[in-house]
Amino acid sequence: MYRLALNMLFGDRAKLAMLLVGLSFSALLMAQQSSVFFGIMSWTYTPMVNIRASVWVSDREVEQVNDAKPMRDTDVTRVRSVDGVSWAAPLHSSIMQARLPNGNFKLISLVGIDSDTFAGAPAVLTVGRIEDLRLPNTVLIDEWGANLLGRAVTRPDGTVETVPLGVGDTFELNDTEARIVGVCRVKRAFTGGPFVYTTYDRAKAYTAGVRRTLSYVLVEPRPGVTPAELCDRIEAETGLRAWTSETDLWTWGERSLARSTFWWFWRNTGIPFSFGTAVLLGLFVGIAISGQTFYSFVLENLRYFAAIKAMGAGSGLLARMLLLQALAAGLLGFGLGVGMAQAIGRVMIEKGMPPFVLYPQVLVATLVLVLGISLCSALIGMVKVARVDPASVFRA
Amino acid sequence: MNKFPLRLLLAAVALGGVLAATQLASTAAENPAVSPPPYQPAVRDKDGLLSASGLVEAVAENTLVGVPFAGLVADVPAKVSRAVKAGDPLLVLDTRELRPAAAAAVAAAERAEDVARRMQPLRGTGAVSESALNEAQFAAREARARADLAAAQLERATVRSPIDGTVLQVSVRPGEFVAAGGKAPVVVGDISRLQIRCDIDEQMAPRMREGLPAKGFLKGELAKPGAPDRSLPLRFVRIEPFVVPKTSLTGASAERVDTRVLQVIYQFDRPADRPVFVGQQMDVYIDTNPDAK
Repeated sequence: MYRLALNMLFGDRAKLAMLLVGLSFSALLMAQQSSVFFGIMSWTYTPMVNIRASVWVSDREVEQVNDAKPMRDTDVTRVRSVDGVSWAAPLHSSIMQARLPNGNFKLISLVGIDSDTFAGAPAVLTVGRIEDLRLPNTVLIDEWGANLLGRAVTRPDGTVETVPLGVGDTFELNDTEARIVGVCRVKRAFTGGPFVYTTYDRAKAYTAGVRRTLSYVLVEPRPGVTPAELCDRIEAETGLRAWTSETDLWTWGERSLARSTFWWFWRNTGIPFSFGTAVLLGLFVGIAISGQTFYSFVLENLRYFAAIKAMGAGSGLLARMLLLQALAAGLLGFGLGVGMAQAIGRVMIEKGMPPFVLYPQVLVATLVLVLGISLCSALIGMVKVARVDPASVFRA
Repeated sequence: MNKFPLRLLLAAVALGGVLAATQLASTAAENPAVSPPPYQPAVRDKDGLLSASGLVEAVAENTLVGVPFAGLVADVPAKVSRAVKAGDPLLVLDTRELRPAAAAAVAAAERAEDVARRMQPLRGTGAVSESALNEAQFAAREARARADLAAAQLERATVRSPIDGTVLQVSVRPGEFVAAGGKAPVVVGDISRLQIRCDIDEQMAPRMREGLPAKGFLKGELAKPGAPDRSLPLRFVRIEPFVVPKTSLTGASAERVDTRVLQVIYQFDRPADRPVFVGQQMDVYIDTNPDAK
């Protein structure tokens, strides 16, 4: 009987195509839009991913990582004096204008890491050595920024090509030379500008005229002290704000700065609304197309259902047959939809724009919603089938 | 009828999509592990520590040697890092004006003394009056004093080291003009024993007590993770009773004051295995545990 149900489903190719287009389009829209949404949101806490430390200490008023409120230099020693701290290092972070050799200006994110220990240094350097930052007027730049700030070079044949900045190239920060000694691979930021790494002391020189230059204190707890416990102690003793640094959306704790940043952007920008609308649209389009198609499919096959009923099958069996059909269509639609979504995603990840993060949770939610849509459609059909009079098969 | 292959095909494509998506989703979790910094930081090994930033200085405190009057620099015998004894010349100012003046003063003194000497035998003969003789003698003494003054001024043009020590800094070269009361042209200090001036944020000052032990980590002394302990034990000397605006972090004169600090002096022996220089920065941990000795 169930085999018969599947034969009915796959027999009518036009209806099947319609049904699958509706369901898969809906799955595609939901999975792809949610992934771009999470991708963009993951850009908002990029510094937390690039600069790894267990605990970040900031000013009391900080809500999100991109908007640091400057602190006093001695706050580093105050944090170091808190029990449970293993070590603490200063971190500078600010947006600056870089003047390129061709006269153009570009915004960059200046990151000043501890001069002695390089705590906060990027994990991957594709070119150069971190130690070269000890040379005067030196910086590291990220790969993407090196391309962005690259200079246009006209080839002998007349074609213009952008050559990325490399080791030895210079630009100016606040009228001071910044010489590139390395290229690092870090995640891109929501704020747009490329990351330029230098030492904390030199960052002070580059930001000449700025009164306070300490943006964050990076802290590592002593063995046996959890980051969250240490946060409590630091806040109690110094009156500053301490954050943990987990960046995984699904497991980050109450005190994660990435979490706070995520919700700050959720509250203060139109990003969730815009993408939420797209996801809802996907849901409605899915429900409308597949519901309507499934209903007309049931309507068209009503005669067969009546025949099956006349042969003695109960409404329960018919309902299960419909459920099986809906389930099969739903699963196929889901598979095709997320297949397309991941294909688009892979292209996006390859290009780096726009950001795309497909969470397993999004996949599960998409599956649940697509099955929900198809079961809704089946439900509409079931009402019709339950009401059908077995005798109608003889009247036709 | 080829219904079955279609079914299979669709199922295969859908399954492939799900698998590919699952694979992509498995790479989504983003929580890079916290790795230790490339170089070993100054690590606290126990609770109850007070952190301060310090500046290494000579025990006798560095002497900022000044000039007595403004003038051109003629010669700078002081060479940086060379040992000097008390009285050794450090800096010589231009004496082209002073030397003839001194010579003239000496000549004037000799002339006045000569007059007084030649009048002396005529005393009581009536050839010179008592008052004229006295006047000549006083004039001779005055002229001699002027000559001494000029000689002293000439001598003052040579600035000498007030202490036994080492020349730490020379910031003038012959031919430059130095103003009296300006930036000290020469700094000398006794660097055989060093001390460290620690700045403690005024907000943590109440935790500081007399006699607490401490240890320091020299800045710029790099150690890869796993390197042996590089801390230096410090001995308490005194707490400076006067809380001052913080200046030690860069030492730059334009440094802006945003907090005040309690200064505490610690002393340490020069480590045998590595150099320590006056003016270096140090991260200091002061042990405030009650049982610390």
